[in-house]
Amino acid sequence: MSSLRGSAILEAGVITVSGPLLVFSVYLLFAGHNQPGGGFAGGLVAGIALLLAWVAGGMETVRRVVPIRAGVLLGFGLTLAAISGFASMFAGLGFLESGYLEFSVPGVGKVKVVSALAFDMGVYLVIVGMALGLVRVLGEDETLDAEAAS
Amino acid sequence: MAGLLVIHIAAALAILWWRGRVGRRAFLVGSVGPLAVLVWAIFQASGISAGTPYVQRIGWVPSLDLTFDLRVDAYSLAYLLVIAGAGVAIFIYAARYFSDGSRVPTFAATMTIFAGAMVGIVVSDHLLSIFVFWELTTITSYLLIGYDDHKAQARSAALHAALITGAGGLAMLGGFVLLADAAGSYLISDIVSQPPAASTAVTVAWLLILLGAVTKSAQFPFHAWLPGAMSAPTPASAFLHSATMVKAGIFLVGRLGATATATADWWQPVILVVGFITMVIGGWRALRQTDLKLLLAFGTVSQLGFLFLLIGSGSAKLVFGGLALLVAHALFKAALFMVVGTIDHQAGTRDIRRLSGLRRSMPGTFWTAVAAAASMAAVPLTYGFVAKEAAFDGLVGKETTMIAAAAAASILTVVYSARFLIGAFGPHEPGQEPAGPEAPVARSALLWSPLVLAGAGIVLGFAPRLVLGLVDNATVAVTGVAAAGKLVLWPGLVPALGWSALSLAVGAVLVARPPRVDAAVGAVGTLADKLPTGEGTYRRALPALLTFADRSSGILQNGSLPAYIAIIVLVAVALPAAAVVGDLPPLTRPPGGIALEWMLGALIVGAAISLVFVRRRFAVVILLGGVGYGIAGLYAILGGPDLSLTQLLVETLAIALFAFVLRHLPGTFNEAVTARIPRIVVALTVGSFVFAGGLLANTFRGGRAVADSYLAQAVPEAAGSNVVNVILVDFRGFDTLGEITVLVAATLGVAGLAVPALRMLRREG
Repeated sequence: MSSLRGSAILEAGVITVSGPLLVFSVYLLFAGHNQPGGGFAGGLVAGIALLLAWVAGGMETVRRVVPIRAGVLLGFGLTLAAISGFASMFAGLGFLESGYLEFSVPGVGKVKVVSALAFDMGVYLVIVGMALGLVRVLGEDETLDAEAAS
Repeated sequence: MAGLLVIHIAAALAILWWRGRVGRRAFLVGSVGPLAVLVWAIFQASGISAGTPYVQRIGWVPSLDLTFDLRVDAYSLAYLLVIAGAGVAIFIYAARYFSDGSRVPTFAATMTIFAGAMVGIVVSDHLLSIFVFWELTTITSYLLIGYDDHKAQARSAALHAALITGAGGLAMLGGFVLLADAAGSYLISDIVSQPPAASTAVTVAWLLILLGAVTKSAQFPFHAWLPGAMSAPTPASAFLHSATMVKAGIFLVGRLGATATATADWWQPVILVVGFITMVIGGWRALRQTDLKLLLAFGTVSQLGFLFLLIGSGSAKLVFGGLALLVAHALFKAALFMVVGTIDHQAGTRDIRRLSGLRRSMPGTFWTAVAAAASMAAVPLTYGFVAKEAAFDGLVGKETTMIAAAAAASILTVVYSARFLIGAFGPHEPGQEPAGPEAPVARSALLWSPLVLAGAGIVLGFAPRLVLGLVDNATVAVTGVAAAGKLVLWPGLVPALGWSALSLAVGAVLVARPPRVDAAVGAVGTLADKLPTGEGTYRRALPALLTFADRSSGILQNGSLPAYIAIIVLVAVALPAAAVVGDLPPLTRPPGGIALEWMLGALIVGAAISLVFVRRRFAVVILLGGVGYGIAGLYAILGGPDLSLTQLLVETLAIALFAFVLRHLPGTFNEAVTARIPRIVVALTVGSFVFAGGLLANTFRGGRAVADSYLAQAVPEAAGSNVVNVILVDFRGFDTLGEITVLVAATLGVAGLAVPALRMLRREG
């Protein structure tokens, strides 16, 4: 893999692509309720973007893109998903049954917010956390080298 | 009622919260639990005794129809009073017995939880909640017995008790499930009022439940854990092994005894035989102990045998006698255990051969012991005598061997009661270093707690009417008929009195000639020692069990990933295949696909076949990806954009992650293709099974009820027009929550495994 990193074209290409990919992943997350996509697919796209970032610049770049630890994302995502389930119960609905709110934002138009979005965000965060965790564990050569040397 | 259980938990939590400051007063905090139960039971007593059980139902998952059912009838009430009465006395005693120590509060909290669990067993009407409380007593008793965890002996005794009663508890759970299945209800009240028809399943159920009760109540051949459990601090022994835990099994056989007798004709004989053997073995072993506490422990085994056969028999007269004796036993045995505790506390030993001069230096404790031991030996004018009369009265008219065996056990009881008194308060044996109390007993709970219980055993002897109603109603509650039994100090010249008198007389003669008795006991003892004992059997069985566990897990968990996967997929194939084989309908071929489908199919199959013959790892990964992308393409053609998108992304991510790992592995597989044949066979089996399964599913494709209802509800119920996503986050949201939990766990697992493995690789490379 290190041979790949020498290629300036690849590096430039990867950096160009990974930004839009992240945006696309968030789009999938929000669009998912009505169009193909959702938290799972969105999270996977973000994961792929992180992988590309790793190919381009190693863990340094990955950390610049997502300056959060994988464990935090995993924990936060799972908690968010669970809480959104219980929140529905407080609103008088069943566990994880979704309710929605409709309001209009000036200049944008009618916006419908579904409570399931919070749940889907939790899913998204867990998937991103998983990808980040795996990249970190399997891709971190520098610390391993440092540890092996010490 | 449920509040009483909450009080126990709250008291335990309070103790733990203030464990830094509470010291041994923790037991006083804990005593709030039994005290509350006692007060509650006394206030409810008249209503419940009149025949109206106290019933409470709490629906805790109403949507799944799970309820927490409590039911207190007169039978439960009798146990509640025994548990709570002894509990209050023992908790107060414990607050004086212990010195302030850092671990004492934890011990007190555990004992409080134990007391709550015990209450839970006797008030639950639901078989499964009985099981939960039952196992809670197993776990807490493990902690209580193993309190002195720096002693290997205490640890192994705790393990012994937990293994035996835990295994019995699991058997009992199996029995409960079978029984509830046959009876159509988990509620004991339902099962008792509408017993299941006799069948093999019901027979097995009774056997398993009996196993649970026999282990818990320390019956032969599982009795050996109880003497071992004497390594617990004495207050715990007094509470667990006289009044409560060991009574749980008796409670259960009593509760179900009448129903079991009605549906299984072997129940009563088995109970009687087990009880009698336990009774005689316990009494005999008690004669040979030199440790006061062990003497009491074997005496308890003996008494439990008697209670077990009486209360478990399901016959009204025997149950009546048994319940009368149950109350007596709790009073005198808890008192005697506390007496031993006091002696141990003051003199620093409980060895019969060394104790000396305690009669003068500890007069209060001496008279307490006399009263309690008299009750135990069923000397007239004590409640023990009254209760034993009722028990003999129930046995008269049954087979003579039974009553003779009971008399033999009673004789042994008289002898070991005397041995207890003489051993504890008489002179020390010649040649032994004498031990006496270092300081007189303060007028404290060390004196008063056992005195109150022993005194109650005398008072009830003169006023048995106080318990007559309780025992009578409890008998009616489990057997359905009144025993017409009597609890009186002077029964008149009836056969039962004869048996009592005979037991006492023979016992007294034996006591009066100690050298000859000792010689006889010694002579028989050398013979009896050749027989296997419960402890010895356990000690031999345990290593065998461990070896078996070791070997079987060596075979099943051999660490080979291909073997694990092969086992998992083959089982997943074999079970459903076995279900449909034989009556397989003709399979219909689905309508033929378009050209693009055929092309993608060819791509998938081609990639899969080439996988087998490729030796370069990276090529394998690429080909695997080809299979996945091909499937994603099929999804897209068949109208599943969401599935297709997700599949595509998962494949991409997976290939990239494979590439990460491949950096650390050799570039090629160095095995011959022929070595792959077993795996190829497994893969072909699974593949053809899935293929046939697909055809089968297609053949039986019925209505679209589920799909249509999801499609119809997606927008109005969940405000989403992508039904796949709505299913994931709403309709089947619980599943998704489970799946992401698995993902989190898997990620942590990979991290835990990969980090050290990679570190090792780096070091080697």
